[in-house]
Amino acid sequence: MGFQSKGCTLRGTGDKMTEIAVLVKRVPDTNAQILVSGDRVDLSAVKWVMSPYDEFALEAAMLHKEAKGGNVTAITLGNADCDKVLKDAKAVGVDRIIRVWDDSWSELDSNQAQSALANVIRDLGINIVYCGKSAADTGAGSTGPGVAERLGWASASNIIGLEFEDTGVEAMVPAATGNARTGVSLPAVISCDKGFCKPRKPNVKGIMMAKRAQVEVMSSDIPSSSVNIISHSPPPKKAPGQTFEGASEVPRVVAALRNDANVI
Amino acid sequence: MSETIVIAETRDGELHPVTAELVSAANNLGDSTTIVVPSTNDAAANSASSIAGVSKVIACVGDCFAAYDAASWAEAIDSCAPSGVIVCAASQNGKDLASRLAARRSISVVQDVVGIDGGTLTQPIYSGKAMQNLSLNGDAAISVRANTFAAAGDGGSAEVSVMNQSADVATAVREMIAKASERLDVAEADIIISGGRGMQDPANFANLERLADTLGAAVGASRAAVDTWEEIPHSMQVGQTGKTVNPSLYIAVGISGAIQHLAGMRTSKYIVAINKDPEAPIFKHADYGIVSTWEDALPVLEAELKALLG
Amino acid sequence: MAYEGLDFYDIESQLSEEEVMVRDMVRDWVDEEVIPNIEEACRDGRFPEEWGKALGEMGVLGMTIDEKYGCAGMSYVAYGLVCQELERGDSGLRSFASVQGSLAMFPISAFGSEEQKMHYLPQMASGEWIGCFGLTEPDYGSNPGDMITRAVEDGDEYVLNGAKMWITNGTVADVAIVWAKLDGVIRGFIVEKDDVGFSAPEMTGKHSLKASVTSELVFQDCRIPKDRILPNVKGLKGPFSCLNNARYGISWGAIGSAQACFHSAKEYALSRIQFEHPIASYQLVQNKLAWMLREITKGQLLALHLGRKKDDGSWFPEQISLAKMNNVDMALEIARMARDIHGANGILDEYPIMRHMANLESVKTYEGTHDIHNLIIGRWITGIQAFTRTV
Ligand SMILES: Cc1cc2nc3c(=O)[nH]c(=O)nc-3n(C[C@H](O)[C@H](O)[C@H](O)COP(=O)(O)OP(=O)(O)OC[C@H]3O[C@@H](n4cnc5c(N)ncnc54)[C@H](O)[C@@H]3O)c2cc1C
Ligand SMILES: Cc1cc2nc3c(=O)[nH]c(=O)nc-3n(C[C@H](O)[C@H](O)[C@H](O)COP(=O)(O)OP(=O)(O)OC[C@H]3O[C@@H](n4cnc5c(N)ncnc54)[C@H](O)[C@@H]3O)c2cc1C
Repeated sequence: MGFQSKGCTLRGTGDKMTEIAVLVKRVPDTNAQILVSGDRVDLSAVKWVMSPYDEFALEAAMLHKEAKGGNVTAITLGNADCDKVLKDAKAVGVDRIIRVWDDSWSELDSNQAQSALANVIRDLGINIVYCGKSAADTGAGSTGPGVAERLGWASASNIIGLEFEDTGVEAMVPAATGNARTGVSLPAVISCDKGFCKPRKPNVKGIMMAKRAQVEVMSSDIPSSSVNIISHSPPPKKAPGQTFEGASEVPRVVAALRNDANVI
Repeated sequence: MSETIVIAETRDGELHPVTAELVSAANNLGDSTTIVVPSTNDAAANSASSIAGVSKVIACVGDCFAAYDAASWAEAIDSCAPSGVIVCAASQNGKDLASRLAARRSISVVQDVVGIDGGTLTQPIYSGKAMQNLSLNGDAAISVRANTFAAAGDGGSAEVSVMNQSADVATAVREMIAKASERLDVAEADIIISGGRGMQDPANFANLERLADTLGAAVGASRAAVDTWEEIPHSMQVGQTGKTVNPSLYIAVGISGAIQHLAGMRTSKYIVAINKDPEAPIFKHADYGIVSTWEDALPVLEAELKALLG
Repeated sequence: MAYEGLDFYDIESQLSEEEVMVRDMVRDWVDEEVIPNIEEACRDGRFPEEWGKALGEMGVLGMTIDEKYGCAGMSYVAYGLVCQELERGDSGLRSFASVQGSLAMFPISAFGSEEQKMHYLPQMASGEWIGCFGLTEPDYGSNPGDMITRAVEDGDEYVLNGAKMWITNGTVADVAIVWAKLDGVIRGFIVEKDDVGFSAPEMTGKHSLKASVTSELVFQDCRIPKDRILPNVKGLKGPFSCLNNARYGISWGAIGSAQACFHSAKEYALSRIQFEHPIASYQLVQNKLAWMLREITKGQLLALHLGRKKDDGSWFPEQISLAKMNNVDMALEIARMARDIHGANGILDEYPIMRHMANLESVKTYEGTHDIHNLIIGRWITGIQAFTRTV
């Protein structure tokens, strides 16, 4: 198998415990109104939540542990405001909560964020990482595959189904021609779409556990940033509504949906 | 920032037309564009060489390209692509690959680019509720959304060099399973096509279902439809006492646009209305209104979409 | 759109992280499970059994009681927030939780023997056993001290005779906390569902709290073993200390009802167009909305402050009377005003308004009527009791 030749030993559940990690991110509620004031988005009034796809990743991690044993570590990247998403993860039963941060950092670009996460994951001796297919703020979906590459691990992205095996997982990965039932050996990063599991809810006992849990803060070396955020701006204004007479105009509407609206 | 590398988008070993759009994007960023075409053979690379404005085509040939596997693709492509800004399509695999390539080279990745103006790249953030404008100060991997740039024309004749790669795949496709055409729930879908009382008969919803299959959409309904016809379950109802939905495209067919219906779908990004009554209130809220009976309009819509989306 | 409570004065900043987490847990559950099904439950006049189980699984039943007994040992503020979210769904649902936690589990935990606590509390915390609280009688409501129900000693047993009325959860209860006179002194007894001589027929025909079970408890030579008496309390202090906790919860719960009505009225006023403009753009309507916001905000501050005092033990009962009375009163007024803003739509079960309004009529009466609380406060001010003429 691919990367084992490059020095990554495969640690199954045989003699060693599976070390499972889940990456969770704090983002504005997807219903939040996003305002741009000056040339930056103003997030001072938004409600913050765990990024929705991360909830499925968290559930997948918990299911993995229940199926094959091991420990689940929830990891986030950010300042102390992000402790809440770790507490939320703790409340549904993860074993350990870690926040990756250094007070000298401000906003990190993808390169920096992935490096920091990959370094910590490597140090923790993790064998499988679950994350959401994309975070609700950037929508980028870069973290899972980016972290996997830095670690030299396999990855499967946007998965819509998952089975646990002794030395890996079987993931259902959507492809152009159907869904690919894909075998993935550990170590690996799995980025999760919604729908294949139902994220569990906390209960009061879990919340009390979370209250007592300590967030471990870890730092790491990071490269320098190679992108400059110049500004944020409101989205382009939609053209005013148009009305067309008769079925013969349907092709014009279809063209507009494709070319102007970009929705099909 | 002169060299730009387009990673061609392929489907089943053939060049995807979006590649020509990526070339236009690349030409906006640098002055020399190389296309890297990952494939199990050099056929797709040969068709890429006719895209105008390309200085070089690299056929990156390897067995690993038989099915998508992020790790081996990144490894193989990385070893044939020169340094520079990498441009991928913002497709599911294109974004995944862009992330892998960026990480491999320890550079940043910028996804879902919808505009390039001088050195300024624009990408949507917060699901399009704001835009982020940024510049690169070094190499990066970017993914560009389809329909952002006009496709580069053809008539080019760039030289094709073949580079054979062998990377070990890290994941193994065990079986391809046809996508079940199960109906999406309206609360989950990104495209919704809803029918109202104007559909006249629940059997006519079959027309909407066919369209939904083409679009990968969910089928919704107005309350009048749900209340009138047993066959239309309440789970399909959109509106104040049904589901609140927020898709990028909402197509309302034979729905008048009562305030309670609007309450459930008003925040859709784009609204299309098909209604025979030009005075129907739904037209006040539609981005694209079509005054027509659905009997006339839907067959045309279906034909157009089939042609476009296959 | 996910529900966000009205929080004009940023009350949330005064809550601990776990209090917010508990609130959000219940809030999400109410949005997902209760609000879509409550109208049907009301139409059928039934409390969905699975809701009781879900409350147990969430761990909110008797949640202020010690962890040793399978409970959560959380703050009274957290309990209040839970009541608020439950009652935003329906007062009947909150009633269920109040009765289970404050009226049935609390007396066992406060006045029961160690054996009683270990036996009953974990099963009740999990929602496995449902409890009820029998104080009111057909002829004695505001004046329970003159109750007729009696217990007499007979060998190893007590024999109970009498009847209770208006008892929430009675018919579905596994465990009833029954207040009865033993040698002229009010004592608490634990009666179990299958005890000989005990029955609990359901009362029907309610226009209010339709999703809550209300029952009579009938004792005809009902025999219970001696170890079912609550050993550690005598007199009205027993039932009244339970009521203090339940009333406190109601002061939060009413805020939930008020918020639901406010939320609906605001949305409706913004979307309803008359005379060419949304009715929300008219001053008379804005005045109503502003008044609602004002009252809710005051009610929140009252409840939160009282909750902190409950937690540090520095409260006294009249403070609870004030909060229960005020918050239910404002919620009922807000429900009526919201009904008005909704026009004819306000009477439909498509909107939560009329249901909350009808529910709140019960809430105004139970746990001490509005005016009984006035009298309690009046006595505190003047030192003169005005419940009865024989001073
Ligand atoms: C409290 C309350 C809550 C409600 N909640 C909801 C809700 O959640 N969701 C909801 O949808 N409604 C709701 N309603 C009902 C709402 O007021 C409307 O009655 C309903 O939306 C109307 O549905 P409709 O548009 O399908 O029907 P109609 O209003 O009858 O409209 C039918 C439309 O079809 C057009 N038509 C007819 N034949 C054709 C044809 N051959 N081709 C094209 N067009 C044609 C007509 O021109 C007309 O505009 C609620 C009402 C109340 C009072
Ligand atoms: C849905 C519902 C559920 C209930 N659940 C329970 C339960 O689980 N357990 C339980 O024990 N009880 C329960 N009750 C009973 C409730 O606590 C009583 O209804 C309440 O204490 C009032 O008693 P009453 O109805 O007999 O009214 P009354 O005491 O007869 O009062 C009638 C009116 O007279 C007024 N009044 C009474 N005395 C005075 C006075 N001295 N001065 C001035 N005004 C006065 C009252 O304010 C009220 O306006 C429930 C009631 C309802 C409606």
